[in-house]
Amino acid sequence: MSDLYDAILNGNAPAAAEAARQALEGGAAALDLVQGHMVPAMDEVGRRFECEDYFVPELLLSARAMKAALALIRPHLALSGAEAAGRVVIGTVKGDLHDIGKNIVASMLEGGGFEITDLGADVAPEKFVDAVRTSRANLVCLSALLTVTMSSMKTTIEALSAAGLRGQTKIMVGGAPVTQRYADEIGADGYGENAAVAVAMARKLCG
Amino acid sequence: MRLKLISCEVLYREMCAAVARSPHQVDIEFLPKGLHDQGGPAMRTRLQEAVDHVDATQYEAVLLGYALCGNGIAGLVSRKLPLVIPRAHDCIALLMGGRDRYRDYFENHPGVYFRSTGWLERGERDQTAAGYTLEELIARYGEDNGRYLFDQFNGYQRNYRQLAYIATGLEPDGSFEQRAREEAARRGWRFETIRGDLRLFERLVAGDWDEADFLVVPPGWRMKPSYDSRVIDKE
Repeated sequence: MSDLYDAILNGNAPAAAEAARQALEGGAAALDLVQGHMVPAMDEVGRRFECEDYFVPELLLSARAMKAALALIRPHLALSGAEAAGRVVIGTVKGDLHDIGKNIVASMLEGGGFEITDLGADVAPEKFVDAVRTSRANLVCLSALLTVTMSSMKTTIEALSAAGLRGQTKIMVGGAPVTQRYADEIGADGYGENAAVAVAMARKLCG
Repeated sequence: MRLKLISCEVLYREMCAAVARSPHQVDIEFLPKGLHDQGGPAMRTRLQEAVDHVDATQYEAVLLGYALCGNGIAGLVSRKLPLVIPRAHDCIALLMGGRDRYRDYFENHPGVYFRSTGWLERGERDQTAAGYTLEELIARYGEDNGRYLFDQFNGYQRNYRQLAYIATGLEPDGSFEQRAREEAARRGWRFETIRGDLRLFERLVAGDWDEADFLVVPPGWRMKPSYDSRVIDKE
Protein backbone atom coordinates (compact mmCIF):
# COMPACT_ATOMS: atom_id res chain seq x y z
CA MET A 1 0.00 0.00 0.00
CA SER A 2 2.83 2.38 0.94
CA ASP A 3 6.24 2.41 2.62
CA LEU A 4 4.67 3.88 5.75
CA TYR A 5 1.94 1.24 5.85
CA ASP A 6 4.45 -1.58 5.31
CA ALA A 7 6.90 -0.27 7.91
CA ILE A 8 4.17 -0.13 10.57
CA LEU A 9 2.83 -3.54 9.64
CA ASN A 10 6.35 -4.98 9.82
CA GLY A 11 7.16 -3.26 13.10
CA ASN A 12 10.11 -1.38 11.64
CA ALA A 13 10.35 1.90 13.56
CA PRO A 14 13.31 3.48 11.68
CA ALA A 15 11.67 2.71 8.32
CA ALA A 16 8.34 4.12 9.52
CA ALA A 17 9.98 7.36 10.63
CA GLU A 18 11.87 7.63 7.35
CA ALA A 19 8.73 7.01 5.29
CA ALA A 20 6.85 9.66 7.26
CA ARG A 21 9.68 12.15 6.82
CA GLN A 22 9.83 11.60 3.07
CA ALA A 23 6.08 11.82 2.70
CA LEU A 24 5.91 15.10 4.63
CA GLU A 25 8.81 16.52 2.60
CA GLY A 26 7.01 15.47 -0.54
CA GLY A 27 4.08 17.61 0.53
CA ALA A 28 1.73 14.92 1.85
CA ALA A 29 -0.98 16.19 4.21
CA ALA A 30 -0.51 15.00 7.79
CA LEU A 31 -4.15 13.99 8.16
CA ASP A 32 -3.99 11.93 4.95
CA LEU A 33 -0.94 10.08 6.26
CA VAL A 34 -2.77 9.22 9.46
CA GLN A 35 -6.13 8.34 7.95
CA GLY A 36 -4.91 6.85 4.69
CA HIS A 37 -1.89 4.89 5.88
CA MET A 38 -1.42 4.66 9.64
CA VAL A 39 -4.99 3.88 10.72
CA PRO A 40 -5.35 1.20 7.99
CA ALA A 41 -1.97 -0.27 9.00
CA MET A 42 -2.97 -0.50 12.68
CA ASP A 43 -6.35 -1.93 11.66
CA GLU A 44 -4.53 -4.63 9.71
CA VAL A 45 -2.26 -5.27 12.72
CA GLY A 46 -5.39 -5.69 14.84
CA ARG A 47 -6.94 -8.03 12.26
CA ARG A 48 -3.83 -10.21 12.17
CA PHE A 49 -3.79 -10.31 15.97
CA GLU A 50 -7.43 -11.42 15.96
CA CYS A 51 -6.70 -14.34 13.68
CA GLU A 52 -3.57 -15.25 15.66
CA ASP A 53 -1.20 -14.39 12.87
CA TYR A 54 0.31 -11.67 15.09
CA PHE A 55 0.93 -11.95 18.83
CA VAL A 56 1.76 -9.48 21.60
CA PRO A 57 5.38 -8.87 20.45
CA GLU A 58 4.20 -7.98 16.94
CA LEU A 59 1.55 -5.65 18.40
CA LEU A 60 4.18 -3.89 20.49
CA LEU A 61 6.57 -3.51 17.56
CA SER A 62 3.91 -2.18 15.18
CA ALA A 63 2.80 0.27 17.86
CA ARG A 64 6.41 1.34 18.27
CA ALA A 65 6.78 1.95 14.52
CA MET A 66 3.48 3.82 14.44
CA LYS A 67 4.63 6.06 17.27
CA ALA A 68 7.94 6.79 15.55
CA ALA A 69 6.04 8.04 12.49
CA LEU A 70 3.45 9.87 14.54
CA ALA A 71 6.15 11.81 16.41
CA LEU A 72 7.09 13.45 13.08
CA ILE A 73 3.53 13.85 11.82
CA ARG A 74 1.93 15.17 15.00
CA PRO A 75 3.26 18.78 14.81
CA HIS A 76 1.77 19.03 11.30
CA LEU A 77 -1.51 17.59 12.51
CA ALA A 78 -1.76 20.26 15.19
CA LEU A 79 -1.14 22.98 12.58
CA SER A 80 -3.86 21.64 10.31
CA GLY A 81 -6.34 21.80 13.20
CA ALA A 82 -7.45 18.22 12.63
CA GLU A 83 -9.95 16.85 15.14
CA ALA A 84 -8.99 13.75 17.11
CA ALA A 85 -11.23 10.68 16.89
CA GLY A 86 -11.79 11.14 20.61
CA ARG A 87 -10.08 12.31 23.79
CA VAL A 88 -9.07 9.36 25.94
CA VAL A 89 -7.85 9.10 29.52
CA ILE A 90 -6.26 5.72 30.12
CA GLY A 91 -4.59 4.02 33.09
CA THR A 92 -4.16 0.84 35.13
CA VAL A 93 -6.35 1.05 38.24
CA LYS A 94 -5.24 1.59 41.82
CA GLY A 95 -3.16 -1.17 43.36
CA ASP A 96 -2.21 -2.72 40.00
CA LEU A 97 1.26 -2.10 38.59
CA HIS A 98 0.95 -4.05 35.34
CA ASP A 99 0.97 -1.87 32.28
CA ILE A 100 1.87 -3.88 29.16
CA GLY A 101 -1.74 -4.35 28.06
CA LYS A 102 -2.62 -0.77 28.91
CA ASN A 103 0.40 0.47 26.92
CA ILE A 104 -0.61 -1.57 23.89
CA VAL A 105 -4.18 -0.30 23.98
CA ALA A 106 -2.93 3.29 24.42
CA SER A 107 -0.64 2.89 21.39
CA MET A 108 -3.35 1.27 19.27
CA LEU A 109 -5.77 4.07 20.13
CA GLU A 110 -3.12 6.68 19.38
CA GLY A 111 -2.49 5.00 16.06
CA GLY A 112 -6.23 5.04 15.49
CA GLY A 113 -6.28 8.83 15.71
CA PHE A 114 -7.29 9.29 19.36
CA GLU A 115 -5.77 11.90 21.66
CA ILE A 116 -4.35 10.05 24.66
CA THR A 117 -3.73 11.08 28.26
CA ASP A 118 -1.87 8.12 29.77
CA LEU A 119 -1.91 8.24 33.58
CA GLY A 120 0.33 5.18 33.95
CA ALA A 121 -0.19 2.38 36.47
CA ASP A 122 -1.59 2.26 40.04
CA VAL A 123 -3.86 5.24 39.33
CA ALA A 124 -6.20 6.37 42.12
CA PRO A 125 -9.88 7.09 41.26
CA GLU A 126 -9.47 10.80 42.04
CA LYS A 127 -6.63 11.04 39.54
CA PHE A 128 -8.93 9.71 36.83
CA VAL A 129 -11.54 12.28 37.88
CA ASP A 130 -9.02 15.15 37.70
CA ALA A 131 -7.69 14.02 34.32
CA VAL A 132 -11.18 13.71 32.81
CA ARG A 133 -11.98 17.24 33.99
CA THR A 134 -8.72 18.70 32.68
CA SER A 135 -8.66 16.96 29.33
CA ARG A 136 -12.45 17.01 28.79
CA ALA A 137 -12.12 13.35 27.85
CA ASN A 138 -15.05 11.59 26.23
CA LEU A 139 -13.63 8.14 26.93
CA VAL A 140 -11.96 6.62 30.00
CA CYS A 141 -10.12 3.31 29.62
CA LEU A 142 -9.45 1.25 32.77
CA SER A 143 -7.07 -1.70 32.88
CA ALA A 144 -6.41 -4.38 35.53
CA LEU A 145 -4.40 -7.60 35.41
CA LEU A 146 -5.15 -8.95 38.88
CA THR A 147 -8.52 -10.18 40.12
CA VAL A 148 -7.64 -8.63 43.46
CA THR A 149 -7.41 -5.14 41.89
CA MET A 150 -10.43 -5.46 39.59
CA SER A 151 -12.61 -3.95 42.32
CA SER A 152 -10.69 -0.68 41.82
CA MET A 153 -12.47 -0.44 38.44
CA LYS A 154 -15.76 -0.32 40.27
CA THR A 155 -14.58 2.36 42.72
CA THR A 156 -13.16 4.41 39.84
CA ILE A 157 -16.47 4.31 37.97
CA GLU A 158 -18.26 5.29 41.19
CA ALA A 159 -15.87 8.22 41.65
CA LEU A 160 -16.53 9.42 38.09
CA SER A 161 -20.27 9.17 38.71
CA ALA A 162 -20.01 11.01 42.04
CA ALA A 163 -18.05 13.78 40.30
CA GLY A 164 -20.90 14.16 37.80
CA LEU A 165 -18.73 13.18 34.84
CA ARG A 166 -20.62 10.13 33.60
CA GLY A 167 -22.66 12.30 31.24
CA GLN A 168 -19.65 13.56 29.33
CA THR A 169 -17.51 10.44 29.27
CA LYS A 170 -17.94 6.78 28.36
CA ILE A 171 -16.00 4.08 30.19
CA MET A 172 -14.28 1.08 28.66
CA VAL A 173 -12.62 -1.68 30.69
CA GLY A 174 -10.20 -4.46 29.85
CA GLY A 175 -7.40 -6.69 31.11
CA ALA A 176 -6.85 -10.43 31.38
CA PRO A 177 -9.31 -11.24 34.23
CA VAL A 178 -12.00 -8.78 33.09
CA THR A 179 -15.11 -10.16 31.38
CA GLN A 180 -18.18 -8.70 29.68
CA ARG A 181 -20.15 -9.91 32.67
CA TYR A 182 -17.99 -7.91 35.08
CA ALA A 183 -18.09 -4.86 32.80
CA ASP A 184 -21.90 -5.00 32.86
CA GLU A 185 -21.97 -5.51 36.59
CA ILE A 186 -19.93 -2.38 37.36
CA GLY A 187 -21.71 -0.25 34.78
CA ALA A 188 -18.95 0.16 32.19
CA ASP A 189 -20.09 1.19 28.70
CA GLY A 190 -17.74 -1.13 26.87
CA TYR A 191 -15.40 -4.05 27.26
CA GLY A 192 -12.52 -4.97 25.00
CA GLU A 193 -11.37 -8.56 25.07
CA ASN A 194 -8.10 -7.52 23.46
CA ALA A 195 -6.33 -4.44 22.11
CA ALA A 196 -7.70 -4.87 18.59
CA VAL A 197 -11.28 -4.99 19.85
CA ALA A 198 -10.54 -2.00 22.08
CA VAL A 199 -9.96 0.32 19.11
CA ALA A 200 -13.21 -0.71 17.41
CA MET A 201 -15.08 -0.35 20.71
CA ALA A 202 -13.54 3.10 21.33
CA ARG A 203 -14.68 4.26 17.89
CA LYS A 204 -18.17 3.02 18.62
CA LEU A 205 -18.31 4.70 22.03
CA CYS A 206 -16.94 8.01 20.73
CA GLY A 207 -18.98 7.93 17.53
CA MET B 1 -11.97 -40.32 53.36
CA ARG B 2 -9.93 -40.82 50.24
CA LEU B 3 -9.30 -37.47 48.61
CA LYS B 4 -7.62 -36.45 45.38
CA LEU B 5 -5.63 -33.23 45.49
CA ILE B 6 -4.78 -31.45 42.24
CA SER B 7 -2.40 -28.64 43.04
CA CYS B 8 -0.13 -26.09 41.45
CA GLU B 9 3.49 -27.11 41.98
CA VAL B 10 4.26 -23.65 43.37
CA LEU B 11 2.69 -24.96 46.62
CA TYR B 12 4.64 -28.25 46.57
CA ARG B 13 6.27 -28.11 50.01
CA GLU B 14 3.22 -26.66 51.75
CA MET B 15 0.87 -29.27 50.27
CA CYS B 16 3.19 -32.18 51.04
CA ALA B 17 3.52 -31.03 54.65
CA ALA B 18 -0.24 -30.64 55.04
CA VAL B 19 -0.98 -34.02 53.46
CA ALA B 20 1.55 -35.73 55.72
CA ARG B 21 -0.51 -34.62 58.71
CA SER B 22 -3.97 -35.15 57.22
CA PRO B 23 -6.27 -37.64 58.95
CA HIS B 24 -7.35 -38.73 55.45
CA GLN B 25 -5.63 -40.50 52.61
CA VAL B 26 -4.80 -37.80 50.09
CA ASP B 27 -3.31 -38.55 46.68
CA ILE B 28 -1.59 -35.56 45.11
CA GLU B 29 -1.14 -34.61 41.47
CA PHE B 30 0.94 -31.52 40.87
CA LEU B 31 0.54 -29.48 37.69
CA PRO B 32 3.17 -27.07 36.29
CA LYS B 33 3.33 -23.54 37.60
CA GLY B 34 3.57 -22.47 33.96
CA LEU B 35 -0.23 -22.82 33.60
CA HIS B 36 -0.50 -19.53 35.47
CA ASP B 37 1.39 -17.80 32.66
CA GLN B 38 -0.81 -19.18 29.89
CA GLY B 39 -3.86 -17.19 30.94
CA GLY B 40 -7.30 -18.11 32.25
CA PRO B 41 -8.82 -20.19 29.41
CA ALA B 42 -5.71 -22.36 28.81
CA MET B 43 -5.29 -22.97 32.52
CA ARG B 44 -8.94 -23.95 32.94
CA THR B 45 -8.73 -26.39 30.03
CA ARG B 46 -5.73 -28.17 31.56
CA LEU B 47 -7.28 -28.23 35.03
CA GLN B 48 -10.57 -29.59 33.69
CA GLU B 49 -8.64 -32.40 32.00
CA ALA B 50 -6.97 -33.27 35.29
CA VAL B 51 -10.28 -33.14 37.17
CA ASP B 52 -12.05 -35.30 34.58
CA HIS B 53 -9.23 -37.81 34.72
CA VAL B 54 -9.82 -38.57 38.41
CA ASP B 55 -11.31 -42.04 38.97
CA ALA B 56 -14.60 -41.23 40.70
CA THR B 57 -14.87 -44.72 42.17
CA GLN B 58 -11.67 -44.23 44.16
CA TYR B 59 -12.28 -40.86 45.84
CA GLU B 60 -14.89 -38.89 47.70
CA ALA B 61 -13.87 -35.40 46.61
CA VAL B 62 -11.37 -33.55 44.44
CA LEU B 63 -9.43 -30.83 46.24
CA LEU B 64 -7.87 -27.99 44.30
CA GLY B 65 -4.60 -26.45 45.41
CA TYR B 66 -5.49 -23.30 43.55
CA ALA B 67 -7.33 -20.02 44.02
CA LEU B 68 -9.18 -17.82 41.53
CA CYS B 69 -5.75 -17.46 39.81
CA GLY B 70 -6.62 -14.78 37.23
CA ASN B 71 -9.89 -16.62 36.46
CA GLY B 72 -7.92 -19.80 35.69
CA ILE B 73 -10.51 -21.83 37.61
CA ALA B 74 -13.55 -19.92 36.31
CA GLY B 75 -15.86 -22.28 34.45
CA LEU B 76 -14.35 -25.42 35.94
CA VAL B 77 -17.07 -28.07 36.06
CA SER B 78 -17.60 -30.68 38.74
CA ARG B 79 -18.63 -33.96 37.05
CA LYS B 80 -19.03 -36.88 39.44
CA LEU B 81 -17.20 -35.74 42.57
CA PRO B 82 -17.49 -32.52 44.56
CA LEU B 83 -14.72 -30.00 43.90
CA VAL B 84 -13.29 -28.13 46.89
CA ILE B 85 -11.29 -24.91 46.64
CA PRO B 86 -10.18 -22.26 49.15
CA ARG B 87 -11.73 -18.83 48.65
CA ALA B 88 -8.78 -16.66 47.65
CA HIS B 89 -7.49 -14.63 44.72
CA ASP B 90 -4.13 -16.37 44.41
CA CYS B 91 -1.50 -18.53 46.04
CA ILE B 92 -0.07 -15.60 47.99
CA ALA B 93 -3.35 -15.31 49.87
CA LEU B 94 -3.21 -19.08 50.55
CA LEU B 95 0.34 -18.79 51.88
CA MET B 96 -0.68 -15.88 54.10
CA GLY B 97 -3.53 -17.86 55.59
CA GLY B 98 -6.44 -16.04 54.00
CA ARG B 99 -7.75 -13.35 51.72
CA ASP B 100 -8.33 -10.73 54.42
CA ARG B 101 -4.75 -10.68 55.63
CA TYR B 102 -3.57 -10.66 52.00
CA ARG B 103 -5.80 -7.72 51.11
CA ASP B 104 -4.64 -5.75 54.15
CA TYR B 105 -1.00 -6.35 53.33
CA PHE B 106 -1.49 -5.62 49.63
CA GLU B 107 -3.26 -2.32 50.30
CA ASN B 108 -0.71 -1.15 52.85
CA HIS B 109 2.34 -2.14 50.79
CA PRO B 110 1.97 -0.71 47.29
CA GLY B 111 4.32 -2.29 44.77
CA VAL B 112 5.06 -5.47 46.67
CA TYR B 113 6.35 -8.59 44.93
CA PHE B 114 6.11 -11.94 46.74
CA ARG B 115 8.41 -14.91 47.06
CA SER B 116 8.04 -18.30 48.72
CA THR B 117 9.96 -21.56 48.42
CA GLY B 118 7.88 -22.55 45.39
CA TRP B 119 8.27 -19.19 43.69
CA LEU B 120 12.02 -19.36 44.21
CA GLU B 121 12.68 -22.91 43.08
CA ARG B 122 10.02 -23.47 40.41
CA GLY B 123 9.36 -21.80 37.08
CA GLU B 124 11.58 -18.77 37.67
CA ARG B 125 12.23 -18.45 33.94
CA ASP B 126 8.57 -17.87 33.16
CA GLN B 127 8.63 -14.63 35.05
CA THR B 128 11.01 -12.86 32.71
CA ALA B 129 9.82 -11.23 29.51
CA ALA B 130 6.65 -13.31 29.16
CA GLY B 131 8.68 -16.48 28.92
CA TYR B 132 11.41 -15.19 26.60
CA THR B 133 14.99 -14.45 27.46
CA LEU B 134 16.67 -11.37 26.02
CA GLU B 135 18.76 -13.59 23.73
CA GLU B 136 15.68 -15.33 22.34
CA LEU B 137 13.95 -12.03 21.63
CA ILE B 138 17.02 -10.63 19.87
CA ALA B 139 17.40 -13.82 17.80
CA ARG B 140 13.80 -13.56 16.68
CA TYR B 141 13.20 -9.82 16.31
CA GLY B 142 16.65 -8.33 15.82
CA GLU B 143 18.91 -6.42 18.20
CA ASP B 144 16.95 -3.17 18.48
CA ASN B 145 13.41 -4.57 18.52
CA GLY B 146 14.49 -7.49 20.73
CA ARG B 147 15.84 -5.17 23.41
CA TYR B 148 12.75 -2.98 23.11
CA LEU B 149 10.45 -5.97 23.68
CA PHE B 150 12.50 -7.18 26.64
CA ASP B 151 12.16 -3.73 28.24
CA GLN B 152 8.44 -3.64 27.54
CA PHE B 153 7.81 -7.08 29.01
CA ASN B 154 9.85 -6.37 32.13
CA GLY B 155 8.88 -2.72 32.48
CA TYR B 156 6.21 -3.46 35.08
CA GLN B 157 8.93 -4.59 37.46
CA ARG B 158 10.20 -1.02 37.54
CA ASN B 159 6.99 -0.15 39.36
CA TYR B 160 7.72 -2.53 42.22
CA ARG B 161 9.32 -1.29 45.41
CA GLN B 162 9.38 -4.18 47.84
CA LEU B 163 9.97 -7.89 47.95
CA ALA B 164 8.27 -9.90 50.68
CA TYR B 165 9.42 -13.42 51.45
CA ILE B 166 6.73 -15.60 52.97
CA ALA B 167 8.39 -17.90 55.49
CA THR B 168 6.26 -20.94 56.26
CA GLY B 169 8.62 -22.62 58.70
CA LEU B 170 8.97 -25.62 56.38
CA GLU B 171 12.28 -24.43 54.97
CA PRO B 172 15.30 -26.67 55.62
CA ASP B 173 17.44 -23.65 56.52
CA GLY B 174 17.76 -19.93 55.82
CA SER B 175 18.85 -20.35 52.19
CA PHE B 176 15.48 -19.52 50.61
CA GLU B 177 15.11 -16.35 52.65
CA GLN B 178 18.68 -15.44 51.76
CA ARG B 179 18.00 -15.88 48.04
CA ALA B 180 14.96 -13.63 48.30
CA ARG B 181 16.95 -11.05 50.25
CA GLU B 182 19.65 -11.06 47.57
CA GLU B 183 17.07 -10.70 44.81
CA ALA B 184 15.59 -7.65 46.56
CA ALA B 185 19.05 -6.11 46.89
CA ARG B 186 19.79 -6.79 43.22
CA ARG B 187 16.60 -5.06 42.14
CA GLY B 188 16.98 -2.23 44.62
CA TRP B 189 13.78 -3.09 46.47
CA ARG B 190 13.03 -3.07 50.19
CA PHE B 191 12.98 -6.52 51.75
CA GLU B 192 10.72 -7.98 54.37
CA THR B 193 10.11 -11.49 55.65
CA ILE B 194 6.53 -12.17 56.62
CA ARG B 195 5.25 -15.18 58.48
CA GLY B 196 3.21 -17.61 56.43
CA ASP B 197 0.15 -19.39 57.76
CA LEU B 198 -0.54 -22.96 56.67
CA ARG B 199 -4.00 -23.31 58.16
CA LEU B 200 -5.84 -23.14 54.81
CA PHE B 201 -3.69 -25.99 53.47
CA GLU B 202 -4.27 -28.06 56.59
CA ARG B 203 -8.02 -27.47 56.55
CA LEU B 204 -8.26 -28.23 52.83
CA VAL B 205 -6.78 -31.71 53.23
CA ALA B 206 -8.45 -32.35 56.60
CA GLY B 207 -11.94 -31.93 55.17
CA ASP B 208 -12.61 -28.87 57.34
CA TRP B 209 -14.40 -26.94 54.60
CA ASP B 210 -16.11 -24.09 56.35
CA GLU B 211 -18.38 -22.16 53.94
CA ALA B 212 -16.64 -18.87 54.80
CA ASP B 213 -13.22 -20.02 53.62
CA PHE B 214 -13.95 -22.82 51.15
CA LEU B 215 -16.24 -23.37 48.23
CA VAL B 216 -17.62 -26.88 47.70
CA VAL B 217 -18.93 -27.35 44.17
CA PRO B 218 -21.34 -30.29 43.92
CA PRO B 219 -21.51 -32.43 40.75
CA GLY B 220 -23.27 -30.65 37.91
CA TRP B 221 -22.20 -27.18 39.05
CA ARG B 222 -19.31 -25.02 37.95
CA MET B 223 -17.07 -22.35 39.47
CA LYS B 224 -17.25 -18.66 38.69
CA PRO B 225 -15.72 -15.47 40.11
CA SER B 226 -18.13 -13.82 42.54
CA TYR B 227 -16.68 -10.29 42.23
CA ASP B 228 -17.13 -9.73 45.93
CA SER B 229 -15.39 -10.65 49.20
CA ARG B 230 -16.28 -14.34 48.77
CA VAL B 231 -14.07 -14.30 45.63
CA ILE B 232 -15.40 -17.57 44.16
CA ASP B 233 -18.95 -18.82 43.72
CA LYS B 234 -20.78 -21.67 41.96
CA GLU B 235 -23.49 -21.66 39.31
